[in-house]
This record gives sequence, structure tokens and C-alpha cells, in this order.
Amino acid sequence: MKTRPRLGLYALVILSVVISFLPIVWLVLTSLKTTEDIYAWPPQYLPDPFTLKNYVNIFTNSPELLLYVFNSFVVGVGTTAVSLALGGMAGYALSRLRMRRAGALMVFILAVSMFPPVSLLPSLFQNFLNLGLLNTYTGLIIAHTGLFLPFTVWMLASYFATLPAEIEEAARMDGMGFFRIFWSIVIPLSWPGFVATGLIVFIFSWNEFPLALVLMTQNAMRTAPVGISLYPGEYAFPWETISTATVIAIVPILVITAIFQKQIVGGLTAGAGK
Amino acid sequence: MSEVKLDRVGKKYGAVQAVQQFDLTIREGEFLVLLGPSGCGKSTTLRMIAGLESITSGDLMIGGRRMNDVDPKDRGVAMVFQNYALYPHKTVFDNMAMALKLQKVPSAEIRDRVGRTAELLGLTEYLGRKPAALSGGQRQRVAIGRAIVRTPEVFLFDEPLSNLDAKLRVKMRMELQELHNRLGATSIYVTHDQVEAMTLADRIVIMNGGVVAQVGTPREVYDHPADEFVAGFIGSPAMNFLDLLRDDSGRWISACGGLALPALPFDAGRRRSIRLGIRPEHIRVTAGGAAGQAGTTYEARVLLDELLGADALLSLGIGEARLLARVGGVGHPVQGDTVAITLDPDQLHAFDPASGAALGRI
Repeated sequence: MKTRPRLGLYALVILSVVISFLPIVWLVLTSLKTTEDIYAWPPQYLPDPFTLKNYVNIFTNSPELLLYVFNSFVVGVGTTAVSLALGGMAGYALSRLRMRRAGALMVFILAVSMFPPVSLLPSLFQNFLNLGLLNTYTGLIIAHTGLFLPFTVWMLASYFATLPAEIEEAARMDGMGFFRIFWSIVIPLSWPGFVATGLIVFIFSWNEFPLALVLMTQNAMRTAPVGISLYPGEYAFPWETISTATVIAIVPILVITAIFQKQIVGGLTAGAGK
Repeated sequence: MSEVKLDRVGKKYGAVQAVQQFDLTIREGEFLVLLGPSGCGKSTTLRMIAGLESITSGDLMIGGRRMNDVDPKDRGVAMVFQNYALYPHKTVFDNMAMALKLQKVPSAEIRDRVGRTAELLGLTEYLGRKPAALSGGQRQRVAIGRAIVRTPEVFLFDEPLSNLDAKLRVKMRMELQELHNRLGATSIYVTHDQVEAMTLADRIVIMNGGVVAQVGTPREVYDHPADEFVAGFIGSPAMNFLDLLRDDSGRWISACGGLALPALPFDAGRRRSIRLGIRPEHIRVTAGGAAGQAGTTYEARVLLDELLGADALLSLGIGEARLLARVGGVGHPVQGDTVAITLDPDQLHAFDPASGAALGRI
């Protein structure tokens, strides 16, 4: 009885893993091929000869890639920190303070996040220009925080809602104030929620393209996705450079995800059961 | 120790009146139990005393001081929650010490007070552990310890035993009793478990639909329930109810037949019908038929017998009427037997069928 749906489930999982992982595998394989092999027909699946030349080339010819990765990292960390700080407080207020129309406010927050980022660009650009925020980490962090804060608020508010309210009430009886409860009870207990949300925000920020493209115009301030996308020249499309650079750019995310994987799963499924 | 006085305290959520005109003085050192089905307003009342819910109307006085707008921590009350509500990320010691730390009690004194409380509750060896490493009973002891350490004027308990298994619940109930005898602090205890209420309480407040149905000692609420709700709620198994109609000759006839009672010792006024209440333990069952017997003895069939151990429960059929009787567990009648049952008029209850109010005895 129970094995049939299980088999179907496994098949589905394997299929989705293959589908989502195939581009990455292809990317890695491409980065290890010679230029001729990349364009070979019929396509050659495994790199033969196997070469690290592309990696050597990219570090010697365009060392600015490391700068792009570093920029992405700074913006990602900054966005994550600010989003978690603001989103945590807003989410806690929305889930725990008995506010009038908290539900309506949550929907409003969601609605705001539905504006396509591109539609914000002209006004953002003009304002950032006036404020001197173009080509600054602060500027892009503000822009990214604006984009991802609604998501953060929603994730954290629903996480807080799963915490037993009695613990906070006990803390009130013990004599803790609102901020004290948030800081020394709620945050420690919501750690998995913060890690999962933070990681997702970090990845969002790392991958975000339109705002990073427009708000960071100097080469030295570009983020990884933007920098890599600007490799193609007018007449050439250097697949080996792009694939190699992309592999380098996703490594930090893979490493961080691997480290916090347990918390992500815990955070995303929290509240589903005891 | 302090007296707690609720003066027409009420709680409204929007248009819903959760608690109405709660009027009661809880004496110093008294153990008061708020009893009722879920949603009756007992927890809301407790939480208003704790300061976790605002009071919509009326006054709350603790030790002679009006507390309506006082912060929970300044009311001199400590609360034990149903789900323990321990801080999972802190040790037993830190859980118990938290309130004192926040009050800026010197750390030597904190160590001393927590140490003595832990000893009282048998928790000394667990002080360094986190709640996850404790059993349910130990966690509940920590929750109680956390309340004791503060030496509050009033202890508040919100269904503290309902998460424990049956055996542990009995044990903890006795421990709570001993503890109350030792500390003698005013305690207000919310439960839906009538056994806890009967065994722990000096006085029981039975609530129904946000209203106090009756206040009295366990004996009073058992012997003299104020209305049908209380009568049905207190006692296990629950009281039997039978609708009786008065015929022209003044006798009371069971609406579903089989039972006719001569004059009843109740002030029924001009009522044509009443609801009779008989506790299962007050039905006397004797083997054999009731032929030739007069008065309040009737013949009944045993439809079902359930042995509980010391006692047995018999489902009896008298005509169409059904009665549950509790009899001794040795040699009791079994399914299919014909028995005689005797109702002692002194142990009958009667209620107004419309309002449910108990009728006075003549």
C-alpha cells in the first residue's frame, strides 16, 4: 500500500533534482573543456582533454572577477543583515502585538513586493543620483533590502507564529519588557527561521540583476552576475570564460548552503508538525 | 500572602462577552479552583488576574491595591502554565533564576533561593540541564519552582497537570497539595478536570459561558448543585437526568415511562414538569425483581455492565428510560439480569426544565 506513492515520490524527486542540477553540471563540464571541445559537433559531453586552463586564464586575464564576487558578497551580507534586523522586528510586531488590521497590513506588504523591480528603476536611479548613492554598497543594499524585506517579514512572521506564546507570556510575568523578550527569548528560539530566511535573502541578493546593473555603473563596483554578463563582446561570446566565471561565482553560495543546510530545512518546514 | 478581590470583573472581545460580572473574594491562603468546560472563561479570568489580558470592566484588587493597569511583574503574582513555558535555551537554574535576575537580586541570594527551591522540589541534580533533557514531570516541577522562587503573593495555575499522563498527574496533584500545605500561599487554579478541582480546592468556582454558575466547597457543589449544569458537570460518571410530568393525581411520571414517583420532596410550585437528577452512586441496585415492592423501588433490566475494578457501572433500562448506576465490583448483576432499583428521596435533585435552576427542598 505504502510503497506505490513512495516510488512515485522518489521518481519525482530524482526528476526535479536532475532537471535543476543539469545546468550546473553542464556549466562545470564546460568550464573544464578546451574552447574547441565546447564548440564541437556532435557535442562532446565529458571534457577530453580535461583542462584547468580556463581557470588560469580568468585569474590572469580578468582578475576583476574576484572583485565582482567580493562586491556581491558585501552587498549580500549587508542586505541579509538589514533585512533580518528590520524584518525580524516588523514580523514580530505583526505576529504578536495585537494590532488592528495586522492581517491587512501583511497583505499590503505583499502587494508592495509585487511591483516589478524594473518599474522602480527610473525613480530609484534619479533619487540615488541625487543622494550620491550610485556606485555605493549602501545604495545597492538599500535597494535590495527594499526588494526582499516583504519576503523577510512574511517568512519571519510566520515563523514567530509557530512559537508557543506561553513562553513569551512567562517572560512577561518574569518581568521582561517587549524588546528584552524579543532579544533574549524570541531571537534565540527563532534561530533556524533567521538562518533559513537569511540564506534565501542572501541568494536573492547575490543573483539580483536589473538593480545591480543600473545602480552600479563603475566596473569596480559591479556584482558578479552583472560583471559576468558583460563578458560577451560585440563579436564574440566567450563561453569558456562565462562558464568558468559563473562556477566561481556560485561556489560561495554552495559552500554557505552546505554549511546551513540543516537549518534551512528546519526553518522551511517549521510549524508543519511537532 | 494576599487577598484577591474581583469586583464585577468582565472581559469583552469585540462583541463577545467572554467573562461577565465576575464577583469574588479569594481569601488569604485559600486554594481556589476555577472549573468549567473549555471556553467557559476560566482561563481568561486567570489571565486577567495575571495581567496577560486587559480587564474590560470592574476592578481587580490584590492585597488591597487596585491592579487593573499594573504590569504583570508588579502584581506579586506568579504563574504556572499548561505547557510549562520554560525557556528551552536556558538551564533549569537560569529558568528559575530569571525573575530574580531581572529584579536585580544579588547573585549570592539568587543561588541560595534557587538552591533551596530546587531542593524542595527534588531538582537539585538537574539545575545544570536544559528543559529538553527533562521528563514531563520534571519540567512541570521546574515551572512550579520558577513560580516559588519569586515568593509571590498569589500563585496562578493554568491547567498545570493536563499535559501529564494519568499516573503522573495523580502524583503531581498530591505534590501540589503538599506544597500548598507547606507554603500556604493564596492559589488560583484553573482546570477542566473535576477530580483535580474536588481534591485540591478549598472552594470551587464553576463557570459556564463566561458566567459563574456556583461557588462553594467541593462538598457543597457535589451535594447541592445550584443548577443542572453544575449537577451534570460535577461527579463522574455524570448525574442521570429524567424528565418527569405531573399527572392529575399529583404523581410524577417519567416522560418515557416505567417510573412513577409519589409526592417528591421538592418545591415544584405550579410546574407540570421537572427534571429529576440522580447520581449513579445513589441508585441502590438489588438482585431479583421488584415484585410486591412499593414506594420508590422499580424493576429494571441490566442492558450493559462495565467492570472498572473496585466498582462496576450498570446501564439500566426502566421502560424507555435509561439510568447509569455505580455498584460494587464484586458479584454485581450482569447484562440481561432483572434487578430492583431503589431511589432514596433524600438524594434526589430536581431542576426547572426551562432555566435549569435547582428546586428547593420542602
